[in-house]
Amino acid sequence: MDGALKLWTVIVVVGALNYLSRLSFIAFFASREMPPLLARALKFVPAAMLVALVVPMVLTPSVAGTLQGVNPRIPAAIIAAVVAFFTRSTLATLSLGMVALWVLQALARPIG
Amino acid sequence: MRHLIASKDFREGFVEMLPACLGLIPFGLVCGVGAQAAGADWLATLGMATIIFSGAAQVLAVQLYSAGAPTAVIILTCFVLGLRLLMYSAAMAPLLKPLPPSWQRSLAFLLTDQSFAAAIRRFNETHDARGGGLHFLGCGAALWLMWVITNLIGFYAGNAIPASWSLDFAVPLCFIALVAPLFRTVPAVAAGLVAGVAVLALDALPMKLSLVAAGLIGIVAGTIVDLMRDRWTAR
Repeated sequence: MDGALKLWTVIVVVGALNYLSRLSFIAFFASREMPPLLARALKFVPAAMLVALVVPMVLTPSVAGTLQGVNPRIPAAIIAAVVAFFTRSTLATLSLGMVALWVLQALARPIG
Repeated sequence: MRHLIASKDFREGFVEMLPACLGLIPFGLVCGVGAQAAGADWLATLGMATIIFSGAAQVLAVQLYSAGAPTAVIILTCFVLGLRLLMYSAAMAPLLKPLPPSWQRSLAFLLTDQSFAAAIRRFNETHDARGGGLHFLGCGAALWLMWVITNLIGFYAGNAIPASWSLDFAVPLCFIALVAPLFRTVPAVAAGLVAGVAVLALDALPMKLSLVAAGLIGIVAGTIVDLMRDRWTAR
Protein backbone atom coordinates (compact mmCIF):
# COMPACT_ATOMS: atom_id res chain seq x y z
CA MET A 1 0.00 0.00 0.00
CA ASP A 2 1.15 3.54 -0.82
CA GLY A 3 2.72 5.25 2.24
CA ALA A 4 0.41 8.26 2.41
CA LEU A 5 -2.70 6.13 1.89
CA LYS A 6 -1.58 3.71 4.62
CA LEU A 7 -0.97 6.58 7.04
CA TRP A 8 -4.36 8.15 6.34
CA THR A 9 -6.08 4.77 6.75
CA VAL A 10 -4.47 4.51 10.19
CA ILE A 11 -5.44 8.10 11.07
CA VAL A 12 -9.08 7.71 10.08
CA VAL A 13 -9.64 4.21 11.53
CA VAL A 14 -7.77 4.85 14.82
CA GLY A 15 -9.51 8.22 15.10
CA ALA A 16 -12.91 6.57 14.62
CA LEU A 17 -12.15 3.73 17.07
CA ASN A 18 -10.91 6.23 19.65
CA TYR A 19 -14.08 8.30 19.26
CA LEU A 20 -16.30 5.22 19.62
CA SER A 21 -14.37 4.19 22.76
CA ARG A 22 -14.81 7.71 24.15
CA LEU A 23 -18.55 7.71 23.43
CA SER A 24 -19.27 4.05 24.32
CA PHE A 25 -20.41 4.06 27.94
CA ILE A 26 -21.52 7.69 27.93
CA ALA A 27 -24.09 6.67 25.30
CA PHE A 28 -24.80 3.27 26.89
CA PHE A 29 -25.61 4.62 30.35
CA ALA A 30 -27.44 7.70 29.02
CA SER A 31 -30.75 5.85 29.31
CA ARG A 32 -29.87 3.08 31.78
CA GLU A 33 -29.18 2.91 35.49
CA MET A 34 -25.62 2.05 36.42
CA PRO A 35 -25.22 -0.92 38.81
CA PRO A 36 -24.03 0.40 42.20
CA LEU A 37 -20.97 -1.89 42.28
CA LEU A 38 -19.82 -0.54 38.91
CA ALA A 39 -20.37 3.04 40.05
CA ARG A 40 -18.25 2.29 43.11
CA ALA A 41 -15.48 0.70 41.02
CA LEU A 42 -15.39 3.60 38.56
CA LYS A 43 -14.37 5.98 41.36
CA PHE A 44 -10.93 4.37 41.16
CA VAL A 45 -10.41 4.81 37.42
CA PRO A 46 -8.34 8.02 37.77
CA ALA A 47 -6.08 6.72 40.56
CA ALA A 48 -5.38 3.34 38.92
CA MET A 49 -5.20 4.39 35.26
CA LEU A 50 -3.02 7.46 35.75
CA VAL A 51 -0.50 5.53 37.87
CA ALA A 52 -0.38 2.81 35.20
CA LEU A 53 0.39 5.52 32.63
CA VAL A 54 2.99 7.36 34.71
CA VAL A 55 5.13 4.51 36.05
CA PRO A 56 6.50 3.33 32.67
CA MET A 57 7.13 6.95 31.60
CA VAL A 58 9.23 7.64 34.70
CA LEU A 59 11.18 4.39 34.47
CA THR A 60 12.14 4.91 30.81
CA PRO A 61 15.95 5.23 30.76
CA SER A 62 16.94 8.88 30.51
CA VAL A 63 19.38 10.34 28.01
CA ALA A 64 21.47 12.26 30.51
CA GLY A 65 22.93 9.45 32.58
CA THR A 66 22.19 8.07 35.99
CA LEU A 67 23.22 8.91 39.52
CA GLN A 68 25.21 5.90 40.71
CA GLY A 69 22.88 3.59 38.84
CA VAL A 70 19.69 5.35 39.94
CA ASN A 71 17.57 6.91 37.20
CA PRO A 72 17.27 10.58 38.36
CA ARG A 73 13.71 10.60 37.05
CA ILE A 74 12.60 8.37 39.93
CA PRO A 75 13.56 10.73 42.82
CA ALA A 76 12.41 13.73 40.75
CA ALA A 77 9.02 12.08 40.23
CA ILE A 78 8.72 11.33 43.95
CA ILE A 79 9.50 14.97 44.80
CA ALA A 80 6.89 16.08 42.24
CA ALA A 81 4.30 13.70 43.73
CA VAL A 82 4.86 15.14 47.23
CA VAL A 83 4.51 18.69 45.84
CA ALA A 84 1.32 17.72 43.98
CA PHE A 85 -0.16 16.02 47.05
CA PHE A 86 0.25 19.09 49.23
CA THR A 87 -0.25 21.96 46.74
CA ARG A 88 -2.71 20.35 44.27
CA SER A 89 -1.13 22.73 41.75
CA THR A 90 -0.11 21.60 38.26
CA LEU A 91 2.18 24.60 37.83
CA ALA A 92 4.05 24.00 41.12
CA THR A 93 4.37 20.28 40.34
CA LEU A 94 5.71 20.97 36.86
CA SER A 95 8.23 23.61 37.84
CA LEU A 96 9.58 21.91 40.98
CA GLY A 97 9.64 18.51 39.23
CA MET A 98 11.66 19.87 36.30
CA VAL A 99 14.07 21.75 38.60
CA ALA A 100 14.51 18.59 40.69
CA LEU A 101 15.35 16.59 37.55
CA TRP A 102 17.83 19.17 36.28
CA VAL A 103 19.61 19.36 39.66
CA LEU A 104 19.78 15.56 39.91
CA GLN A 105 21.07 15.27 36.34
CA ALA A 106 23.75 17.90 37.03
CA LEU A 107 24.82 15.91 40.09
CA ALA A 108 24.86 12.70 38.06
CA ARG A 109 27.21 13.94 35.35
CA PRO A 110 30.56 14.11 37.17
CA ILE A 111 29.94 10.69 38.74
CA GLY A 112 28.54 8.86 35.70
CA MET B 1 -21.88 28.93 20.34
CA ARG B 2 -20.84 32.37 21.51
CA HIS B 3 -22.92 32.20 24.69
CA LEU B 4 -21.26 28.88 25.54
CA ILE B 5 -17.78 30.34 25.22
CA ALA B 6 -18.81 33.43 27.19
CA SER B 7 -20.02 31.31 30.14
CA LYS B 8 -18.10 31.37 33.38
CA ASP B 9 -17.76 27.56 33.55
CA PHE B 10 -16.28 27.35 30.04
CA ARG B 11 -13.71 30.05 30.79
CA GLU B 12 -12.80 28.46 34.14
CA GLY B 13 -12.24 25.10 32.44
CA PHE B 14 -10.14 26.72 29.71
CA VAL B 15 -7.98 28.63 32.20
CA GLU B 16 -7.68 25.67 34.58
CA MET B 17 -6.19 23.58 31.76
CA LEU B 18 -3.50 26.12 30.83
CA PRO B 19 -0.83 24.86 33.28
CA ALA B 20 -1.48 21.29 32.09
CA CYS B 21 -1.24 22.55 28.50
CA LEU B 22 2.15 24.02 29.33
CA GLY B 23 3.35 20.65 30.59
CA LEU B 24 1.95 18.82 27.57
CA ILE B 25 3.75 21.08 25.07
CA PRO B 26 6.75 18.67 24.99
CA PHE B 27 4.37 15.74 24.33
CA GLY B 28 2.88 17.58 21.35
CA LEU B 29 6.36 18.43 20.08
CA VAL B 30 7.45 14.79 20.42
CA CYS B 31 4.42 13.70 18.36
CA GLY B 32 5.22 16.26 15.66
CA VAL B 33 8.90 15.29 15.54
CA GLY B 34 7.95 11.61 15.35
CA ALA B 35 5.51 12.20 12.52
CA GLN B 36 8.11 14.19 10.58
CA ALA B 37 10.78 11.52 11.14
CA ALA B 38 8.39 8.80 9.95
CA GLY B 39 7.92 10.62 6.66
CA ALA B 40 4.43 12.07 7.23
CA ASP B 41 3.64 15.41 5.54
CA TRP B 42 2.25 18.38 7.46
CA LEU B 43 -1.32 17.50 6.53
CA ALA B 44 -1.05 13.97 7.92
CA THR B 45 0.57 15.40 11.06
CA LEU B 46 -2.36 17.79 11.40
CA GLY B 47 -4.75 14.90 10.73
CA MET B 48 -3.23 12.78 13.50
CA ALA B 49 -3.39 15.59 16.06
CA THR B 50 -6.94 16.60 15.08
CA ILE B 51 -8.58 13.23 14.55
CA ILE B 52 -6.69 10.76 16.77
CA PHE B 53 -6.11 13.42 19.49
CA SER B 54 -4.18 11.06 21.77
CA GLY B 55 -0.45 11.44 22.32
CA ALA B 56 0.13 7.85 23.33
CA ALA B 57 -1.70 6.47 20.27
CA GLN B 58 0.07 8.90 17.92
CA VAL B 59 3.55 8.05 19.20
CA LEU B 60 2.80 4.34 18.93
CA ALA B 61 1.22 4.62 15.46
CA VAL B 62 4.20 6.57 14.12
CA GLN B 63 6.72 4.13 15.65
CA LEU B 64 4.96 1.12 14.13
CA TYR B 65 4.53 2.91 10.80
CA SER B 66 8.28 3.68 10.64
CA ALA B 67 9.06 0.06 11.53
CA GLY B 68 6.97 -1.02 8.53
CA ALA B 69 4.24 -2.79 10.53
CA PRO B 70 1.11 -3.81 8.57
CA THR B 71 -1.84 -1.41 8.71
CA ALA B 72 -4.00 -3.89 10.65
CA VAL B 73 -1.32 -4.33 13.35
CA ILE B 74 -0.97 -0.55 13.80
CA ILE B 75 -4.74 -0.13 14.10
CA LEU B 76 -5.19 -3.03 16.52
CA THR B 77 -2.31 -1.91 18.77
CA CYS B 78 -3.62 1.66 18.93
CA PHE B 79 -7.11 0.34 19.67
CA VAL B 80 -5.83 -1.74 22.61
CA LEU B 81 -4.00 1.32 23.93
CA GLY B 82 -7.25 3.29 23.58
CA LEU B 83 -9.23 0.79 25.66
CA ARG B 84 -8.63 2.99 28.71
CA LEU B 85 -10.95 5.48 27.02
CA LEU B 86 -13.76 2.94 27.66
CA MET B 87 -13.08 3.26 31.38
CA TYR B 88 -13.03 7.05 31.19
CA SER B 89 -16.27 6.94 29.24
CA ALA B 90 -17.92 4.75 31.89
CA ALA B 91 -16.69 6.99 34.71
CA MET B 92 -17.98 10.10 32.91
CA ALA B 93 -21.36 8.53 32.04
CA PRO B 94 -23.21 9.34 35.30
CA LEU B 95 -21.92 12.91 35.20
CA LEU B 96 -23.01 13.57 31.61
CA LYS B 97 -26.32 11.72 31.97
CA PRO B 98 -28.46 14.85 32.58
CA LEU B 99 -27.15 16.50 29.39
CA PRO B 100 -28.86 16.13 25.97
CA PRO B 101 -27.47 13.43 23.60
CA SER B 102 -26.01 16.02 21.21
CA TRP B 103 -23.91 17.37 24.10
CA GLN B 104 -22.84 13.89 25.09
CA ARG B 105 -21.69 13.13 21.56
CA SER B 106 -19.70 16.36 21.26
CA LEU B 107 -18.13 16.19 24.72
CA ALA B 108 -17.11 12.55 24.14
CA PHE B 109 -14.72 13.67 21.40
CA LEU B 110 -12.76 15.75 23.92
CA LEU B 111 -12.30 12.89 26.40
CA THR B 112 -8.57 12.51 27.15
CA ASP B 113 -6.48 11.48 30.17
CA GLN B 114 -6.09 15.11 31.20
CA SER B 115 -9.59 16.47 30.55
CA PHE B 116 -11.12 13.38 32.16
CA ALA B 117 -9.20 13.79 35.43
CA ALA B 118 -9.95 17.53 35.57
CA ALA B 119 -13.65 16.98 34.81
CA ILE B 120 -14.07 14.29 37.47
CA ARG B 121 -12.52 16.57 40.07
CA ARG B 122 -14.85 19.42 39.06
CA PHE B 123 -18.01 17.28 39.03
CA ASN B 124 -17.16 15.88 42.45
CA GLU B 125 -16.92 19.42 43.81
CA THR B 126 -20.01 20.98 42.21
CA HIS B 127 -22.42 18.14 41.23
CA ASP B 128 -23.70 20.48 38.50
CA ALA B 129 -24.13 18.69 35.14
CA ARG B 130 -24.56 21.71 32.86
CA GLY B 131 -21.81 23.74 34.52
CA GLY B 132 -19.60 20.66 34.62
CA GLY B 133 -20.28 20.01 30.93
CA LEU B 134 -19.29 23.56 30.04
CA HIS B 135 -16.21 23.31 32.24
CA PHE B 136 -15.27 20.06 30.48
CA LEU B 137 -15.82 21.75 27.11
CA GLY B 138 -13.44 24.53 28.20
CA CYS B 139 -10.79 22.03 29.35
CA GLY B 140 -11.12 20.03 26.15
CA ALA B 141 -10.99 23.11 23.89
CA ALA B 142 -7.80 24.37 25.56
CA LEU B 143 -6.14 20.95 25.26
CA TRP B 144 -7.23 20.42 21.67
CA LEU B 145 -5.96 23.85 20.52
CA MET B 146 -2.65 23.40 22.32
CA TRP B 147 -2.35 19.89 20.91
CA VAL B 148 -2.84 20.84 17.26
CA ILE B 149 -0.48 23.83 17.51
CA THR B 150 2.34 21.98 19.31
CA ASN B 151 2.12 18.98 16.95
CA LEU B 152 2.67 21.31 14.00
CA ILE B 153 5.49 23.19 15.74
CA GLY B 154 7.10 19.83 16.50
CA PHE B 155 6.75 18.84 12.84
CA TYR B 156 8.57 21.97 11.63
CA ALA B 157 10.96 22.85 14.46
CA GLY B 158 10.89 20.19 17.18
CA ASN B 159 14.43 18.98 16.56
CA ALA B 160 15.80 22.39 17.63
CA ILE B 161 15.27 21.54 21.34
CA PRO B 162 18.33 19.85 22.98
CA ALA B 163 17.60 16.42 24.43
CA SER B 164 19.65 17.29 27.54
CA TRP B 165 16.83 19.60 28.70
CA SER B 166 14.74 16.44 29.28
CA LEU B 167 11.58 18.40 28.49
CA ASP B 168 9.77 15.12 27.86
CA PHE B 169 9.77 14.65 31.66
CA ALA B 170 7.05 17.33 31.78
CA VAL B 171 4.61 14.74 30.41
CA PRO B 172 4.70 12.35 33.40
CA LEU B 173 4.80 15.41 35.68
CA CYS B 174 1.42 16.50 34.29
CA PHE B 175 -0.04 13.12 35.15
CA ILE B 176 1.57 13.14 38.60
CA ALA B 177 -0.01 16.56 39.26
CA LEU B 178 -3.41 15.01 38.54
CA VAL B 179 -3.02 11.72 40.37
CA ALA B 180 -1.02 12.49 43.54
CA PRO B 181 -3.77 14.65 45.14
CA LEU B 182 -6.17 11.69 44.81
CA PHE B 183 -4.22 9.63 47.34
CA ARG B 184 -6.13 10.88 50.35
CA THR B 185 -8.19 7.73 50.98
CA VAL B 186 -7.03 4.18 51.67
CA PRO B 187 -8.89 2.59 48.73
CA ALA B 188 -7.46 5.15 46.28
CA VAL B 189 -3.92 4.47 47.54
CA ALA B 190 -4.54 0.73 47.14
CA ALA B 191 -5.83 1.23 43.57
CA GLY B 192 -2.77 3.30 42.64
CA LEU B 193 -0.18 1.05 44.31
CA VAL B 194 -1.59 -2.14 42.82
CA ALA B 195 -1.86 -0.57 39.35
CA GLY B 196 1.75 0.64 39.57
CA VAL B 197 3.09 -2.76 40.54
CA ALA B 198 0.89 -4.51 37.98
CA VAL B 199 2.00 -2.35 35.06
CA LEU B 200 5.62 -3.34 35.75
CA ALA B 201 4.82 -7.01 36.36
CA LEU B 202 2.82 -7.24 33.11
CA ASP B 203 5.37 -5.32 31.03
CA ALA B 204 5.97 -8.36 28.80
CA LEU B 205 2.39 -8.43 27.49
CA PRO B 206 2.12 -7.56 23.78
CA MET B 207 0.51 -4.42 22.32
CA LYS B 208 0.79 -2.36 25.53
CA LEU B 209 -1.94 -4.53 27.07
CA SER B 210 -0.11 -4.07 30.38
CA LEU B 211 -1.52 -0.55 30.66
CA VAL B 212 -5.19 -1.41 30.46
CA ALA B 213 -4.76 -4.67 32.41
CA ALA B 214 -2.91 -2.87 35.22
CA GLY B 215 -5.61 -0.18 35.31
CA LEU B 216 -8.32 -2.81 35.66
CA ILE B 217 -6.43 -4.71 38.37
CA GLY B 218 -5.91 -1.45 40.29
CA ILE B 219 -9.61 -0.59 40.02
CA VAL B 220 -10.57 -4.03 41.35
CA ALA B 221 -8.09 -3.65 44.24
CA GLY B 222 -9.47 -0.22 45.14
CA THR B 223 -13.04 -1.51 45.02
CA ILE B 224 -12.27 -4.52 47.24
CA VAL B 225 -10.57 -2.31 49.85
CA ASP B 226 -13.49 0.12 49.65
CA LEU B 227 -16.03 -2.70 50.20
CA MET B 228 -14.00 -4.14 53.09
CA ARG B 229 -13.79 -0.73 54.71
CA ASP B 230 -17.56 -0.28 54.46
CA ARG B 231 -18.12 -3.68 56.07
CA TRP B 232 -15.61 -2.85 58.82
CA THR B 233 -17.21 0.52 59.67
CA ALA B 234 -20.71 -1.02 59.51
CA ARG B 235 -19.89 -3.38 62.38
